[in-house]
Amino acid sequence: MIEAINLKKTYHTKVKKGLFKREKDIVEAVKGINLRLEQGQIIGLLGINGAGKTTTIKMLSTLIKSTSGEIFIDGVEINENPLKIKQKVNMIAGGERMIYWRLTGRENLWYYGQLYGIPDKVLKARIDRLITLVGLNEKQDVPVERYSKGMKQRLQIARGLINNPDYLFMDEPTLGLDAPIAKEIRAYIKKLAVEEQKGILLTSHYIHEVEELCDYIYILDHGEVILEGTAKTLSESTFETKITVLELAEINPAIEATIQKFALDEKAVIHEQTHAHIMRFESKNELTESLVKLIHSEKLPLSKLYVEAPKLEDTIIEISRRVSI
Amino acid sequence: MFIKSIKATFIRDWITQLRAYPMHFFIGNVLTVFYTVLGAFFMYHLLFQGHLKESFEVYTGTTDYMTYVIIGSLAYALVVRTLLNVSRSLVTELRQGTLESLMLAPFSRLGYFIGNMLQQMITSLGEVFLSMIFCFIFGLSLSSINGVTFVVSLVITLYAYFGLSLCLGAVMLYTRDTYISQNTLFLFIFLVSGVIFPVEYLPQSLNIIGACLPVRDSIFALRAAVMNGVSIESLYTTYVRLFLLGTGYFIVGYSAIRKIERIALEKIFG
Repeated sequence: MIEAINLKKTYHTKVKKGLFKREKDIVEAVKGINLRLEQGQIIGLLGINGAGKTTTIKMLSTLIKSTSGEIFIDGVEINENPLKIKQKVNMIAGGERMIYWRLTGRENLWYYGQLYGIPDKVLKARIDRLITLVGLNEKQDVPVERYSKGMKQRLQIARGLINNPDYLFMDEPTLGLDAPIAKEIRAYIKKLAVEEQKGILLTSHYIHEVEELCDYIYILDHGEVILEGTAKTLSESTFETKITVLELAEINPAIEATIQKFALDEKAVIHEQTHAHIMRFESKNELTESLVKLIHSEKLPLSKLYVEAPKLEDTIIEISRRVSI
Repeated sequence: MFIKSIKATFIRDWITQLRAYPMHFFIGNVLTVFYTVLGAFFMYHLLFQGHLKESFEVYTGTTDYMTYVIIGSLAYALVVRTLLNVSRSLVTELRQGTLESLMLAPFSRLGYFIGNMLQQMITSLGEVFLSMIFCFIFGLSLSSINGVTFVVSLVITLYAYFGLSLCLGAVMLYTRDTYISQNTLFLFIFLVSGVIFPVEYLPQSLNIIGACLPVRDSIFALRAAVMNGVSIESLYTTYVRLFLLGTGYFIVGYSAIRKIERIALEKIFG
């Protein structure tokens, strides 16, 4: 398990003031983050640019040192034995970095494998397996500069797995990829957590991606965790009202009048829909029970009745709105 | 891990160099030596009509100016190529976006730099020895060479250049500049290390600075081995100085790089 306790990172930078003058500035990129990641789990870090996501990942992956706070990986403090920790973690970033373009896919994996000190026999078998896993069999001996974006990203995933890490940090892993390739990458990520029991920490600007993949989400703003939970609990704690959706097989003026009266009695607001037979009720409480009673008593031609969970995207937008206020 | 890092980096650089810069780069470096020697040849024969100041012989112990210049130019080519490659290695990783993935791995930094240096050494020596072929046309004479002294001088030279290249590498990584830092150093080395004229002609202040760089001693040792065929024992003091200078630069450069690589990684995000 990875446990970060009160993690802080401060950067000392210089800001240009005029042509030659520069003033020192202190940027608190991360201001006391706590988080946990277990093997087989996918957690997400969400936030707008500058929220501290990438800095957090860099600290967890040993790339940069925290200003204060502690990180424990399987009980070992990260600064106690960084070489051991490096064997347990790896990182994958979006874009086309982190691989050598002049080398082939196989050569890249071989080089990184050597840097991790993996015995030659083990390394060869692992490279074969990873190349198959990411579907680069046919292009494994082609220099990376001739790869497409998607192929480079798949090679990145293979590189991130070369040391068979227990924990994988993914910083925007589908950045700039076409939808079908991004979908394929998401499937890999899920597979890694479920089948290979990797603990995965993911940052992404694509909220649907986080919603689809992550078991637990941390929302960061200006270096602080402002909210955490599952997609469902985040929405529940963010929105005070519930949406109940009623779909009828047919609609007529009499039914419409009944529905309007019901909404009035329940103090619910009906949102307009493109189809008149679908009605979305927004109210403080779920309306399923009272709607079931109404359907029975009025013999309404029911097609579907369900409570609509707010999308994570709506939750984030709402949180951002509140934070900016 | 140490040996694996040396081997892997050596092979990686070898493949990269072959794919990225096949023969053109190799020939380009040979031509650099050719042009330097050609310039000296024209100056010596056309401008100075083959005449040297009497003090030249006093300072150098020879009247064979062309061999003097050729050895200096070949050593200069060696230092430039070595410094260029080893110093730029980490800043190149930074620019091509592989510094982070490299630093994620628990590899041996020293092994990485040695692998880098060894690969470059083979290429550079290949270029230098190829350059020697046309240098004979310009009057290079190897009749007095002491092979053993030459090899020992070359090994200590490469060690000293390795240390210096780590220092330059630290500067490059910190400033993220390669052009200004390397060209300033190269020009300075060319001026104060006795590449084409004896350092005794330099003002005292430049002489002191020149003595702090290992290039001057390395050129002196190589010239002594090739032109005067001296024994290893007679160069003992030079070797000790070269070794100490190289070690000093190595310690400063290596520890600076360890610190600066963290700063460089933070700068990416800071």
